[in-house]
Amino acid sequence: MSASRERFGRTDLPEEQQRALRSAVRWEIATLGFTAVSITLVALVVGSSQSMKTAWIEDMLSTLPQIVFLVALPLVRRRATKRHPYGLHRAMGIGHVVAGAALLAVGLILFFESGFGLINAEHPTIGTVSLFGTTVWLGWLMIGVMAIIVIGPFIYGPPKRRAARVLHNKILAADGDMAKADWQTNAASIVGVLGVGMGLWWLDGAAAMFISIGIVLDGFRNSRSALADLMDQRALTYDSSAPHPEISRALSALRALDWVEEAGVRVRDMGQVLHIEVFIVPRDQSAGARRIAEAAERVTGTNWQVQDVVVTLTDEVPGYATTALATGSDPSQTG
Amino acid sequence: MRRILGAITAVLLIGAAAGCGMTIPTDPDGTSEGVVGRELRVGYSPEPGLIAAGGEEPSGPLADLVREYADSLGAEPVWSQASEETLVDALDRRALDLAVGGFTDKAPWTDRAALTRPFTLDEAADAARTSVMLVPAGENAMLTSVESFLDEEGLT
Repeated sequence: MSASRERFGRTDLPEEQQRALRSAVRWEIATLGFTAVSITLVALVVGSSQSMKTAWIEDMLSTLPQIVFLVALPLVRRRATKRHPYGLHRAMGIGHVVAGAALLAVGLILFFESGFGLINAEHPTIGTVSLFGTTVWLGWLMIGVMAIIVIGPFIYGPPKRRAARVLHNKILAADGDMAKADWQTNAASIVGVLGVGMGLWWLDGAAAMFISIGIVLDGFRNSRSALADLMDQRALTYDSSAPHPEISRALSALRALDWVEEAGVRVRDMGQVLHIEVFIVPRDQSAGARRIAEAAERVTGTNWQVQDVVVTLTDEVPGYATTALATGSDPSQTG
Repeated sequence: MRRILGAITAVLLIGAAAGCGMTIPTDPDGTSEGVVGRELRVGYSPEPGLIAAGGEEPSGPLADLVREYADSLGAEPVWSQASEETLVDALDRRALDLAVGGFTDKAPWTDRAALTRPFTLDEAADAARTSVMLVPAGENAMLTSVESFLDEEGLT
């Protein structure tokens, strides 16, 4: 096998992806730092407001994808060995499932907790603190803290989504999406605390339920897409919205070979890179090792994400292999 | 769209609060409105060195403090004596505005009553001892009123 088909690892990423990866790592670390500060700030004022508590826990949970990404990264960069012939790319997927399940579980707990609080008509108590000789209602401090940290996601959300697209990384995409929802969490807790201040005790629990629904949905979406990838569904784009464009590119690269009668591919997403199995029906029944290597190299050359290609000669392309995608799914594949 | 909705909600809430001349925090059940200029329903359970049962009214430094607080609101204290748990129950039913006695910040009643910040009484038998008072849970204006009084007295 040629060396080009064994390039698992960061050193082999193209320039653009290397830049995106460095930027993603920086942003993830910066986010962790920011969240550590905001968790500490909220801890000082959390009091007995359910919506503050829920927003606080959401803050802690929002670090999960970042931690998973940073932990999985060195594993993903390892080369495939005899013991781990597919590399350790699944580390990202496993981390993604764990993070999704944690979100789902905690979101449900918080949802029922705030729901029971509302049913039992628990009136949240928010007292005062003595600040430099003045008595200040703690609610104002809560609102102040939340108003400050609401800014964060607007700063670190967009660059993560950009990096997710360039790197085809679903954890980064999930992280960016969660950041997008983060500000709603903080805004909802401000509404909840303000409601308590106005004597509308139920607004706190209602805000907490709103926040926990967001956490549950995050958890559900993350678990579903991560599990589907671990179950080896056909590779999708980084935001799981369409079949991966690489499928069309590989197919047209194969059809361009004159000895190929018919071609089909089976593509699965290993986390950041793709594993492709190619099925070729040759025109003259004798393809030869050189031609097989050529086909593999053609497919490998179409995209940096293709790091492992296996070519099989067959007399019939199996039904589960993709031989064509609906037109329009990839604009580069019209000719 | 949701961003705009959130912003509108926040502005409306603040506007509504300011428009009604509402003070924040406000009591959901109006405890402090019923107290100011009227009567302060105080429940107490005797605690040596702090508050002792008397003929008509209790005595002791804690009883004096409550009288002073009622005075600052132009309210007349109306006393009743009971065990601590009965007092918490009465607060929960909104039958009392304030409960005092041997409560500390370790009190286990936090889901049924609101604890003030801890304070110390110089005239108490044990001057280092910290106490708390209890007000109905979620009555945040009442809580703020008591805590502000304690701050002004320099006891916290």
